[in-house]
Amino acid sequence: MRIFPENASSYGANIDFIFWLITGVITVASIIVIFLILYPLLTKNKKRTKKEMYVKGIGFKDLKLIYLGIFILAVADFYFLYREMPYWTKIEESLPKKDLHVIIMGRQWLWEFTYPGPDGKLYTDDDVKSINQLYLPVNKVVHMDIQSYDVIHAVFIPNARFKQDALPGRNITRWVKMTKTGKFPLTCAEICGIGHANMKATVTVLSEKDFEKQLAKLYKK
Amino acid sequence: MNTSIKSWRNIPQARLAVWTLIAGEFVVFGGLIVMYILNRLKYESWGEMAQHTNVIAGTINTLVLLTSSYFVVKAHEAAIHKNKEKVKMWIWFTIICALLFLGIKSYEYTHEIMHGFTLPGKHLLAEGKHVETMYWSFYYTMTGLHGLHVIGGALALFFVMRHATKTGKDYHRLEAAGLYWHMVDIIWIFLFPLIYLIH
Amino acid sequence: MNTHKKHGFWHRFFFSLDHKDIGFQYMLTIFLMVSIGGFFAYVFRMHLAYPDMKVPLFGLVTNKDYNMLITNHGLIMMMWLALGMLLAVAGNFLIPIMIGTDDMAFPKLNKISYWFFLISVILMIASFFMKRGGFGGGWTMYPPLSVGDFGYNTPYKSFADRFFTANTFVLLAITFEFISLLMGGINFFVTTLNKRAKGMTLTRMPMTVWMINIASVLFMFSVGPLIAGAFMLLLDINVGTGFYDAYRGGDPLLWEHLFWFFGHPEVYVILLPPLGFLADIISNNSRKPLYGYRFILNLTLIAAILSMMVWAHHQFVSGIDPRAATIFSIFTIIISLPFAGIILAYIATIWKGNLRLSLPMKWALGSVTLFTLIGGFTGLYLGAAVFDIYAHNTSFVVAHFHYTLFPTVIFGSYAAFYYWFNKFTGKELNKFWGNVHFWLTFIFFNGFAFPLFLLGLAGQQRRIADYRQFEFLMQDPLPLYRKIATISAVILILSQFIFIINFFWSMKKGKKVSSENPWQSNTLEWQTSSPPPHGNFETYPVVYHGPYEYNHPDREKDFLPQNEK
Repeated sequence: MRIFPENASSYGANIDFIFWLITGVITVASIIVIFLILYPLLTKNKKRTKKEMYVKGIGFKDLKLIYLGIFILAVADFYFLYREMPYWTKIEESLPKKDLHVIIMGRQWLWEFTYPGPDGKLYTDDDVKSINQLYLPVNKVVHMDIQSYDVIHAVFIPNARFKQDALPGRNITRWVKMTKTGKFPLTCAEICGIGHANMKATVTVLSEKDFEKQLAKLYKK
Repeated sequence: MNTSIKSWRNIPQARLAVWTLIAGEFVVFGGLIVMYILNRLKYESWGEMAQHTNVIAGTINTLVLLTSSYFVVKAHEAAIHKNKEKVKMWIWFTIICALLFLGIKSYEYTHEIMHGFTLPGKHLLAEGKHVETMYWSFYYTMTGLHGLHVIGGALALFFVMRHATKTGKDYHRLEAAGLYWHMVDIIWIFLFPLIYLIH
Repeated sequence: MNTHKKHGFWHRFFFSLDHKDIGFQYMLTIFLMVSIGGFFAYVFRMHLAYPDMKVPLFGLVTNKDYNMLITNHGLIMMMWLALGMLLAVAGNFLIPIMIGTDDMAFPKLNKISYWFFLISVILMIASFFMKRGGFGGGWTMYPPLSVGDFGYNTPYKSFADRFFTANTFVLLAITFEFISLLMGGINFFVTTLNKRAKGMTLTRMPMTVWMINIASVLFMFSVGPLIAGAFMLLLDINVGTGFYDAYRGGDPLLWEHLFWFFGHPEVYVILLPPLGFLADIISNNSRKPLYGYRFILNLTLIAAILSMMVWAHHQFVSGIDPRAATIFSIFTIIISLPFAGIILAYIATIWKGNLRLSLPMKWALGSVTLFTLIGGFTGLYLGAAVFDIYAHNTSFVVAHFHYTLFPTVIFGSYAAFYYWFNKFTGKELNKFWGNVHFWLTFIFFNGFAFPLFLLGLAGQQRRIADYRQFEFLMQDPLPLYRKIATISAVILILSQFIFIINFFWSMKKGKKVSSENPWQSNTLEWQTSSPPPHGNFETYPVVYHGPYEYNHPDREKDFLPQNEK
């Protein structure tokens, strides 16, 4: 049984790694917390003097164990941040040099994908479109201009660990590099009306040769 | 029940409540003003639209509100001495100022609507000026919301004054209602330059 | 002092100015809303597990129905149950009596708040019956979807056509509710500052009073921009302005910012009152003073301020500047620290105590355990912006916020119910059925929410009416998880009837409380008769101690009421 869907993009492994890192740390923390809650429960009938019971926790000396707890959590927190921030920069903030540029347009309720025409440039008259079928070349950096025609949608490719909202009136450029060929689902992850559930597309990742063939087929149409 | 024990602390309750309310109101208008400023910085063409506002009417309205604040202060002074007649007089002056303000405001609104600057801005849309309609949307929303507060404040002053002068008690409530009135005034002081003056 | 005669039913439920009666009115109204919200949850959970089945009591669920059900479930539970129960009900019942006074500072304003609340409930229920059906745009109401008609493709013809839509009614309902809670909040704030009993200094107030007040003030400061924003959204819907219309210079993201600028502090508005109940209940049942009273208070204030700076972590992939997301990610992770401190202080309170495992204590421990171990820790995953790319808007998020909200709102409220029921009715809840209720709720809540984590990790996105069209979501064992979640959810909902029946039965026929102070508690509400008379106290109490002086070394008995010298 696998927890995540099969990873098929260059940065998917990074995201999975962050998940397992945090899981590891909080498992340890959980065991400590469970002990802290169970111990008083198990020893609740022990005879104790009033002096033992009457502790109030004032000032640093009394609270130092709690401060220690907070400090340990702070160290863990900042370690997560330290590990995850480079990935965030890599995935969301930077744009590696592109091999292909496509437009993903969400509308109620279908996905419209636009590829550059024979001139190799987007936003010209010879651009070609496909509906609900996104063809991508394998091992190439693809820039995606994510747009929406009407309401807010969200592009979600689980296998690529990719998600981005599509906003009307805005162009958001993100990138993905698929590392495996095959068919992967692409779904909408932001409620967009009664057809939200039916708004799905397929990402077909092809080898470079097949991709050229597929594009040529689209040009002919 | 012994109602004489209202409080051990001797903070005037009404004043405290109104101050809390004012803090809440400032967050509402603060949010609106921040949104307006952000959009204003984004769209230069709004300056052009701002020239269509009636600056003279706006200035007169500012003066009217400032004067009304003075009247409220006088009313409060009279309320301290429990001077029924004077309280009545100053509050009525304030309410007349509020009505004058609303009158001038409606004159402005009529004028602007006649020139085609309506809330949804159908005329401007027809001319292809999409972004500019937002200026008028903000104009009507902000001044309209403020206008509602003017009406609310005037009503509050009226009822508090009537209660106080009829029963001869609860003069301290005039101070609370007066505080609210000052807030309405101050919000206008913020709105006036932002909407009318910056071109 | 208590010269009031007994009033009839009508007076008590419609015109009474007494804070306990108003609290009771709020409570009944909220019970009604929760039944609706729970019923909706039952219907759509059944639909998810058995998509072809005609759901008993509802029928076949269409996509349109499904969107309406999830949206209104969210809205009702967040706005009416959580905010209403924890601010309005708890504040009304507990604040005046815990600070030792007769009533709210402004009883009439309190009554008006309730009437506004009732109007909001009526508007909300009316919205289900509009011509185009209930509101189906998600409880976050993102425009432009919430401006239009969700794609039913029936264009609006006139103003009346636009006005009588679920969109307008839901927004009006929320606005009325916010106004109600704002008035209530002002009332709580003034009451607490002004009407405390003699000797009740600020640091002698029970935690519950503190927390409800901090929550009310936090609510007031975060909700303002959203009220302005809701006004603008109403204009967008009904007049045709373009505040959120990207093609006219507006910005759909603006709503997201306004909504979450309120929405995130709201999570803490909801969280703080239960933390207050827990402090009182845990300290009382451990027979130990609350560990670090001032410390907890300071941390709460820090958390309240921080909570205003983390809202964009709901929007990491919504198209905001990724560099801004980094900053919000840091703040989000930092906000876990004060809460860790508070929880550790609670654990220090039970540490080496002679615990009484009474029913309220069971709920309190259940709440702390689930909230910390699962609700709190899974927040770290989502706060780390990178993992949120994947987890955002999946069932993982749904599971996470159910694990934060359910233990606090529901467990916290139940802890309070089982604790203060004795006080306000003078009767005892049936213990056996109370235990059955606790264990069923505890087990089946986990059975319902935990599979959602696994589904979310498998990539199941939220708010999908029918998962069968996604092959990758129909692989084994995912449909099984969905069924486990559904069956558990249904049992969870059914087991709440045990409580409802127990509640009303015990109120009528339950055992009379053995003493005025059955929990041997210190706080002032236990130092008057049960149920308290109109005006709460025969003679106004004078306070000499803090609220948590249990097992004081100089005293014979193990508790020391606040008004005892």
